[in-house]
Amino acid sequence: MSKAKKVLEEAMESNILEIDLVDKSISLFEELPGILEMTHITRLTLSHNKIQTVPPGLANLTNLEILNFSNNQIGELPLSLSSMPKLRILNLSMNRLYNLPRGFGAFPVLEVLDLSYNNLSEKTLPGNFFMMATLRALYLADNDFEYLSSDIRNLKQLQILVLRENDLIELPREIGELSRLRELHIQGNRLTILPPELGNLDMTSNKSVFKFEGNEWVNPIKKQLELGLSHLVEFLKSEQYRILHNRYLTNKPQIPPPCVDKAKKISRIR
Amino acid sequence: MSPTPVPSLLTGLGLNVENMICSHCKEGFDPNEKIVNSTGQLSHQKCFVCAQCFQPFQDGIFYEYDERKYCERDFQVLFAPCCGKCGNFIIGRVIKAMNASWHPECFCCEMCQTELADTGFIKYAGKALCHECNAKLKAKGLGKHVCHKCHGIIDDQPLKFRGEVYHPYHFNCAACGNELDANAREVRSRPGFAANEMNELYCLRCHDKMGIPICGACRRPIEERVVTALGKHWHVEHFACAKCEKPFFGHRHYEKKGLAYCETHYHQLFGNLCHVCNQVIAGDVFTALNKAWCVHHFACTVCDQKMNQKTKFYEWDLKPVCKKCFEKFPVELRKRLKRQHDASPRKPQTAS
Repeated sequence: MSKAKKVLEEAMESNILEIDLVDKSISLFEELPGILEMTHITRLTLSHNKIQTVPPGLANLTNLEILNFSNNQIGELPLSLSSMPKLRILNLSMNRLYNLPRGFGAFPVLEVLDLSYNNLSEKTLPGNFFMMATLRALYLADNDFEYLSSDIRNLKQLQILVLRENDLIELPREIGELSRLRELHIQGNRLTILPPELGNLDMTSNKSVFKFEGNEWVNPIKKQLELGLSHLVEFLKSEQYRILHNRYLTNKPQIPPPCVDKAKKISRIR
Repeated sequence: MSPTPVPSLLTGLGLNVENMICSHCKEGFDPNEKIVNSTGQLSHQKCFVCAQCFQPFQDGIFYEYDERKYCERDFQVLFAPCCGKCGNFIIGRVIKAMNASWHPECFCCEMCQTELADTGFIKYAGKALCHECNAKLKAKGLGKHVCHKCHGIIDDQPLKFRGEVYHPYHFNCAACGNELDANAREVRSRPGFAANEMNELYCLRCHDKMGIPICGACRRPIEERVVTALGKHWHVEHFACAKCEKPFFGHRHYEKKGLAYCETHYHQLFGNLCHVCNQVIAGDVFTALNKAWCVHHFACTVCDQKMNQKTKFYEWDLKPVCKKCFEKFPVELRKRLKRQHDASPRKPQTAS
């Protein structure tokens, strides 16, 4: 009997609600007999396996609150996932996702979504992606975004937004409407200017972390960043920057080349 | 109207019967016949009957009207007034008012039901009212109060005292004796005493000297339970969360920058919600990577294995990753993350 089967049998016998199947060389759900009937479980962790497809029947696990597929080889997800009524934390980091199913944004109570290290971009996100009103944290580091939709403003509860090492060329003004945002990672992108509205956010409190390194900032912004975050906030709020920003919009700075060699990402392997 | 005194029966003996005539039939009397004498009027026994029913008067009681005599029943039917309230005949004192007749005990103020027969009344909007109620209604119409002492309308600010309103000038300060104005304060001399009888009035000056605590929220004196917090005094019901405004009523409060918050809003506003369960952290708090966790929710973000304050972990976009997981990361990602770390050097961390 495989290790995975043993774990499942034990869980069924002693009515365990949290299932750990980490690094068990699982490729297919068929290797996990009975798992789709364990409707009482609240957490399923399948990190460090070789799973490529997720069966639609997984959505039968209606009590699941945490689902973790970190470091697998998933290239496609079932649409049914987004109907899971109690799912609060979904970890799909380090997979091979180029797109998400249509209607993916329909999760009723999702709070933390980790899509780090995939191959997603604004072109492949489903239309309702930014409708997840309960989302607290959105991890999109190591993907291929060049632009971020202005629909981001709908994520009213968002506290954490990670976009490290994408190909971002521009940030939408609407990012300034995310009044609860206290963590923003935009290091390693192709950004040159920032929307003045970013100054509305509370970047300088001791609960805030804003990371700007590794972008080709225009000189005035670079200078303020060297002086410190509070200087940047004051500068973004100033009339001077408003005028400067308008000028940049009509006469855009040259777009820097991509700075990360994505070809080496294992998420690209087909 | 009252019945005429009972008439006496006389005999002709010793009287000059020949000269007397019956006042009813104008005939003479037989010498031995019994003659009825009623208030000086003489009549035959057969003639001394009710003018309506021709029956003798029961117990000799009759009522006279327009020189005719009637038995009680017929007199009432023909002439006695009916009471405007109870509808019964009125014998005795009749109150004529408001286009009707009334028993004295039936003619009452329509508001307070006191008898009006001897005190007089005032007609107000088709109703008979006593002077007091009339004043009250009039004041109400003007949006004013009526003084509970002099029953006059209070034109300026009223003074509330023991549950009633008064002209302030009827009272003097219990301490300095000066005449009061509307700023006077009613003080419960026995805190928590429910009834009003023990209350006293003080002028504002004397009141302020008495050291009665002032509520930090409403700025009014606190006469019952006092909550002391944030260096101020509060009415129990006014000491409330600065965010949701619900009173604490003895529940734990949290202070921040001179304001008090309930547990939920303190944590919501100031951050100690668990990153995993998003609930207020009860008991010990793990803080690391700009976040907080319940002790039993602090785990590796990749494999969900629990970690404790001694576990070394790596930071991945401010997420905790255990060493085992980090070593399984793609090499190129680890290199990039390492490069980033070297730019802002940090060693493997532990939570606190």
